[in-house]
Amino acid sequence: MKWKYAVPLVLLALLAAMPQFLPRFHIYIIAIVLLTGLLATSLNLAIGFGGIYQFHHAVFYGVGAYGTALMLTKSGLPAPLCLVAGPMAAAALSLVMGIICVRLSKLYFGMLQISLGSLVWAIVYRWYSFTGGDNGIPGIPVPEWIASPEGAYYYILAVTAVCMYALHRIVRSPFGKALEGIRDNPVRSEAIGIHVRLHQLAALVIAGFFGGVAGSLFVVIETSVFPDMMFWTYSLEVLVMCLLGGMYTFFGPLVGSSILVLLRTYVSVYIPYWHLFLGIVLTLLIIFLPDGVLGFAVRRFRPKEGRLA
Amino acid sequence: MRRIVSVLTGVIVVCCVTAFAFAGPTIKVGIVDTYTGPVTTYTYDVRDGFKMGVDQINAKGGVLGKKLEFVVRDDTFKSDVGLAMAKELILNEKVDILMGTINSATALAISDLCKKEKVPFLVTFSKSGKITGEKGHRYVFNLNENTDMIGRATATVFAKKPYIKYWIAGDDYEYGHAIADAIWNHLKTLNPKVQMIGQSWWKMRETDFNPYITQILAAKPDFVIVATGGGSMVNFQKAAQATGFNKRAPFYQHTGIELSTLMPQGQNAPEGVFGTANYLFYYPETKVNKSFATDFEKLYGRHPKSGALYGYMAAQFIANAYKKAGKVDKEKFIDSLEGMALDSPIGKLEVRKCDHQIVLPMFYGVTKKSPKYEFLVGGDLVSIAGKDYMPTCEEISKARAK
Amino acid sequence: MGFLEILFSAGTLSQILTGLSRTTILFIVSSGLSLILGVLRIPNIAHGSLYMIGAFTAYSVIAFLGGGTFAFFAAMVAAPLVVAAIGFVMERGFFSYLYDREHLMLLLLTFSFALILGDLVKIFWGTEFRSIEPPAFIQGSAEILGLPVPYYNLFLLAVGPFIAVFLWLVVNRTKIGKISRAAAVDAEMVSAVGINVGWVFAFTFVLGCFLAGLGGALIAPMTSVSLGMDHSLIMEAFLIVIMGGLGNVWGALLGSLIFGLTQSLGIMVWPQFGIVFPYLAVVVVLSFRPRGLLRSVW
Repeated sequence: MKWKYAVPLVLLALLAAMPQFLPRFHIYIIAIVLLTGLLATSLNLAIGFGGIYQFHHAVFYGVGAYGTALMLTKSGLPAPLCLVAGPMAAAALSLVMGIICVRLSKLYFGMLQISLGSLVWAIVYRWYSFTGGDNGIPGIPVPEWIASPEGAYYYILAVTAVCMYALHRIVRSPFGKALEGIRDNPVRSEAIGIHVRLHQLAALVIAGFFGGVAGSLFVVIETSVFPDMMFWTYSLEVLVMCLLGGMYTFFGPLVGSSILVLLRTYVSVYIPYWHLFLGIVLTLLIIFLPDGVLGFAVRRFRPKEGRLA
Repeated sequence: MRRIVSVLTGVIVVCCVTAFAFAGPTIKVGIVDTYTGPVTTYTYDVRDGFKMGVDQINAKGGVLGKKLEFVVRDDTFKSDVGLAMAKELILNEKVDILMGTINSATALAISDLCKKEKVPFLVTFSKSGKITGEKGHRYVFNLNENTDMIGRATATVFAKKPYIKYWIAGDDYEYGHAIADAIWNHLKTLNPKVQMIGQSWWKMRETDFNPYITQILAAKPDFVIVATGGGSMVNFQKAAQATGFNKRAPFYQHTGIELSTLMPQGQNAPEGVFGTANYLFYYPETKVNKSFATDFEKLYGRHPKSGALYGYMAAQFIANAYKKAGKVDKEKFIDSLEGMALDSPIGKLEVRKCDHQIVLPMFYGVTKKSPKYEFLVGGDLVSIAGKDYMPTCEEISKARAK
Repeated sequence: MGFLEILFSAGTLSQILTGLSRTTILFIVSSGLSLILGVLRIPNIAHGSLYMIGAFTAYSVIAFLGGGTFAFFAAMVAAPLVVAAIGFVMERGFFSYLYDREHLMLLLLTFSFALILGDLVKIFWGTEFRSIEPPAFIQGSAEILGLPVPYYNLFLLAVGPFIAVFLWLVVNRTKIGKISRAAAVDAEMVSAVGINVGWVFAFTFVLGCFLAGLGGALIAPMTSVSLGMDHSLIMEAFLIVIMGGLGNVWGALLGSLIFGLTQSLGIMVWPQFGIVFPYLAVVVVLSFRPRGLLRSVW
């Protein structure tokens, strides 16, 4: 049982040692990979494990980031409070949006969420005096202990590790199993006494919260926020990350986001037509590898394991 | 799982290998700018003007014996992309100097980054007054005009005109508001009789101006100040032409008489639009300006616009600053650049020491058809010298102290 | 100006006319999207890119033929046909093999096409700014109650109802239209009756793409033809379709009206947050009628 944790722990140790021998740029990229991985994993709770068409997850990412950013720049409150305020705001928004949307299913849910999310985006985008409008907010004051490149990296590594562990426990818990049951057969789940809507709402709030955490981590490493963070195209990108890595595995989204972020950073410098490249990769993936990279790996190498990794 | 670890390790190894980018025998400049969408009519000129300057300098032996080279990145007018690219250029490509961008918000974000990383940043087309004003610092230089300058220069012209009722409209973003505020605040100080009877602010990249135009016309202002940014200049003029707005209510745009705005419209551009510009290839008709324009035309097959001047002069300033510094050192580069004055196609241009802002002459005129060219030009041109309208160094230090 | 004064002024009428001409474009594009969504059950994210290709193609045709009235109408025919052809390739070449897959996969496939087509436009036409003029006979503006309304907007206002009626005829009065509607409700049944559902799907998709291309071609003389057109439009089109009812052409019309008008009037009432009004309208509608205003096909 215990050796299952060996690989993640080794990886964690490896990542902790990175700043010692890697140049700054790569530390920065790894930090981005980590927080994006957290974002994708939080989305996957809703869409992969819950089967909910969470089409506009980026809203929670953005609200988490903006919440933290606004608290840090405008209120005089201590930093740890600000860092938590963002994800709390995201969770609250998730609750409100969830209550409105959860009555619907599948495509209608997704579309209503997109329209609500777009409304939030439009307000942030135009409220120039409060949110900086389309400028975003550059130059956010981040406390000393996480302002340095190493400090930011370790903070992000620690928070991501803790959150991933929490999410993993949630997925493995009875709640998580019930969620998967709802995904596979909502009618049957209702019949055996599971309150479908309540479970889905809970999943949405949790997903929104951790998405908001990823947003606050963005603030730490980039010290700025932009409204594009919550634009619907980014929501689709995060969805692609989940798909790419494997929607039915836990670490799939992390793998998917790693590949996408690394590709985007290194390939887009040499290939001016990044979207074309991404589109072709995605098309090939959908046609040949619908289970994603990790899903494929799991099916190939551990067929007995079933759908969880 | 094992497979994932090995894949990730492999990727990391590749990263480490590419990390050893050579700090070689060249001076590297990184340009982040927008090369997608309607603003390319401005940004291509910056890049090409810069290239022309760089090639000339390299042909004469380079700078301190080294070749000057540059890399470009397209930020697609998005601030988060621009910031990430700037980070990549500084941390990965290890550029000596960063240059860019047309989006003021991006410029401010990159400026903040360069302050932290202590890398000189030369702004080439963003015009927010904040860049060298309240958000200015040692590591940022602005090599084009800024909104504060535009506001002051234009206000001096308007103050003498008989208009009382003004309507202010523009793109609802940093640049739009900055220009409008600058013009209006200075105008009100110079001529307290003026009144603002209304405002319209549309989203950036707005393509349909008709609802706003009808709203403005209904209010019957004496004059309209249109604070559009690069992305909307041409679209607004098109809408003005289609609705006859230019004939019903006189309006003004910064860069309204400039080639970048007028050329894409050909003979269909609206006449009678008031505007300011900082470079026109046909005015003043000095030998220096003519030869600069001819050189540019020979290389690129088109007339140079203001971006070409800024790009070209950026190359000159970089080369001369390094020469004066004597070595490739960022701090010494900055010390040499501030206060430097060089000859240009439109006269001597100085980069002020107190705020790192370049001082440019401003040309004010009105669009009209020309028998010589297939596009409209600025007519009735009046030139306003830089020193007559620049904010004083005291005003700058007060703004930065806030 | 008092609120009532503003409401009944000439300004409002101009705003409404402008809003209505915007409605035409929105309707043409979103009706195509609605048909595709209704019959094939694919949320076609590439619809915006097809619209953009329509605009660029129209530009090229007009530029190639040297401008003028003939060039304009030629472009209005050629551009949608080109886009329809692309749609045909997309559907027959890719989508048709994946109909048995999960919905989500199809949605993501259309997203990948949106990415690919977007960059292909960049490659083919470059990133520069393009501008075309309306043909001479509809240049300039008419004076309505003392305020200018561009002739081209009025032209669009006239075209809109034509397209609406034409579409209604196709969907409700032609054989293929009726079969498509049946296929939307129960594709298996249609297939069991012996009709080749594949060709029904292909027809609907191609028609939808034709409409997207037409929308793009029509809007080109009014605004600038540039990259990024696809992003701004696709979200609006989707919201209209959802608001109107999936697969319902009249619903698309209604949705477009609401969207276009709330945006124009919103700008008048609250200039800064004008663009929020349409989104607000969508949220309100969906809260009370989550399946859309009019009956959706499924």
